[in-house]
Amino acid sequence: AGVLQAFSTPEYNSMSAKDMASMEVDEDVAAEATSSSQSLAVESTSQAASGIINVVAPTSPLPQPAQSSASSSSLSVVAGGSNSEVVSGDGGTVMASAGTVGSVSVSLHPLVILNISEHWTRQRAQEGKPVQVLGALIGKQTGRHIEIMNSFELSYDELGGHIIINRDYYTVKEEQYKQVFSDMDLLGWYTTGDTPGPPDLLIHKQVCDLLDSPVFLKLNPMARHTDLPVSIFESVLDLVNGAPTMLLVELQYTLATEEAERIGVDHVARMSSHDTQESSLVAENLQAQYSAIKMLASRVRLIAEYVRASQRGEVEFNHEILRQVNALTHRLPVLSSDKFRGEFYNQCNDVALMSYLGTITKCCNTMNRFINRFNLLHERLAMGRRMRGLFF
Amino acid sequence: MNQSQIAQRTWEMANNMESVNAADEIYQYDRKQQQDILQAKPWEKDPHFFKQIKISALALLKMVMHARSGGTLEVMGLMLGKVDGPTMIVMDSFALPVEGTETRVNAQAQAYEYMTGYVEAAKQVGRQENVIGWYHSHPGYGCWLSGIDVSTQMLNQNYQEPFVAIVIDPIRTISSGKVNIGAFRTYPKGYKPPDEGPSEYQTIPLNKIEDFGVHCKQYYSLDISYFKSSLDKKLLDSLWNKYWVNTLSSSSLITNAEYMTRQIFDLSDKLENSETALGRAGLFGLDPQEKKTEDKLSRVTRDSCKTTMEALHGLMAQVVKDRLFNQIPQAQSQAQESAQPSSQAQA
Repeated sequence: AGVLQAFSTPEYNSMSAKDMASMEVDEDVAAEATSSSQSLAVESTSQAASGIINVVAPTSPLPQPAQSSASSSSLSVVAGGSNSEVVSGDGGTVMASAGTVGSVSVSLHPLVILNISEHWTRQRAQEGKPVQVLGALIGKQTGRHIEIMNSFELSYDELGGHIIINRDYYTVKEEQYKQVFSDMDLLGWYTTGDTPGPPDLLIHKQVCDLLDSPVFLKLNPMARHTDLPVSIFESVLDLVNGAPTMLLVELQYTLATEEAERIGVDHVARMSSHDTQESSLVAENLQAQYSAIKMLASRVRLIAEYVRASQRGEVEFNHEILRQVNALTHRLPVLSSDKFRGEFYNQCNDVALMSYLGTITKCCNTMNRFINRFNLLHERLAMGRRMRGLFF
Repeated sequence: MNQSQIAQRTWEMANNMESVNAADEIYQYDRKQQQDILQAKPWEKDPHFFKQIKISALALLKMVMHARSGGTLEVMGLMLGKVDGPTMIVMDSFALPVEGTETRVNAQAQAYEYMTGYVEAAKQVGRQENVIGWYHSHPGYGCWLSGIDVSTQMLNQNYQEPFVAIVIDPIRTISSGKVNIGAFRTYPKGYKPPDEGPSEYQTIPLNKIEDFGVHCKQYYSLDISYFKSSLDKKLLDSLWNKYWVNTLSSSSLITNAEYMTRQIFDLSDKLENSETALGRAGLFGLDPQEKKTEDKLSRVTRDSCKTTMEALHGLMAQVVKDRLFNQIPQAQSQAQESAQPSSQAQA
């Protein structure tokens, strides 16, 4: 009977569930947003700091053009300076002058990167040697923001050394992807290789026939450095020697977040032979957080080192970066208002309540089994006598 | 150049060599070998022939994202790949423009048309593999085959061998932080499988539990492993350089709030069920009856533990973020500069 009383928990469960559903989540969203922008700011400042430190250190290689800073446009002013040396392989620059800022903001899904990588690997495996691959990028565009979500391969013919895109193939594919991803449009094209050159511009002009202002993504599979070897460009018409020519401007891009994608990417990135049966569930779950925090710590250390170095006079005083570092430190603590504290404790209480209920259920189960066995033990004796009375 | 630099240069040169290194050999498609296998059909004699399945990183990501994009609707698609002994290999996947458990005839035709068009176009750009299976999503109710799925798969295994069925749950993926996926092959009708022992337990919501129970013996699951190319590995490593920001700022308590609520409702229903069952058992007190109610309550307990643990994990992430970004020790401050942030915090 005592066990049955504990089953009043179902009502309690549904009540608490309703409370949780109407939980005030605004503060949490704000906290999350600020912590993410905080981390982004740390990331961008540390990229700038590391760029400057690289210039000073004599033995390190020339810093790659800031291909991979996930930063707001203010940082491109600082990083844009290193763009001016980009020269294409066979003479003649195709890059616009340094300091030109792109007109759109781009967010890139990791799926596209894996798509291109697989395309390249497949072609290489089948041909036996690395080949340049070509494909189209699709996604959504809202105003001045482009989100590149997916990609597919394009068929091309080589006529007289130039690459001509097969239009019919593209039309077939366009019809197909419109059926499945009805809200995605063609955004641009991609290819593999090192820094962009005139052949890329030729292909870019062909894509311009299909779309007004396409973006151009270049992935370098042979890159040696550890930054993401992906660059995104858009084209501008500039006057060079009096003639309007098409030049490429590098765009800054961010990596798009989508929870399922993040988990998938995490999973494939860390999947070696999994013998995680031994480790606890908590450890598994915290592993991802731990790696992220390790990165954060290393970036913060880098910034601190930079500040100390410029204090000692080893690195030249860069006011822009130091201003950013100052702004960064002033943003801490991110959220400490009373309202936030209140909501945060509410959230903690809700989770504590859930675990309390879970523990009670577990107790009920154990009690139930115990009582059953107890009854069984005692009834066996009584039952045995009764049964014998029935049959004999 | 010192020793380590020489060693590094030689290693890099070796990696850049024209020949494909071992990890990427799986991307080669040997048409003759595949056709030989298709002729031999070793799976006809043994219903349990295929034991493992290897899924490429790209295929997994595409399937997960497609499943997620469907929200609470089931979505489906096909997979391209090949066979290697008792292992099925999935190289790529693509979405189909139809709903998950569609049974309309014209929907089937549309899917078929799309499929042939897609595979033909793919062959033109160097993807030679054939369709090796289908996948669909079970948003929120776990990875298993429903009655319709079982009959569809049995049909496929009659006419389109080799074929595999994959099920993905995007909602559970997000709530548990691990990819929730299962690969299955059905047994032919009338085949009695040898007793396999208990498979991994998963929570099934009440409204689906009957469908699950009736058919769960008609198929078996394959061991899933994943592979990625060397370029994938390099890109993923450098991706982490930026992605850690997203990992740190994700908040699973918020993303999963709705799913958790639904789970709790489901738990309360299950508890009520086991309560009534217990009431009945009290009258009999016989062994088999007790075993059933015990199982019910134990199952509910296991489910509730799982839900609770997921909530706790989410809270752990929040607490970590709070410590990192909100709680700054005001103790040590030598320079005057640091006095300013502390006064700002108090303001």
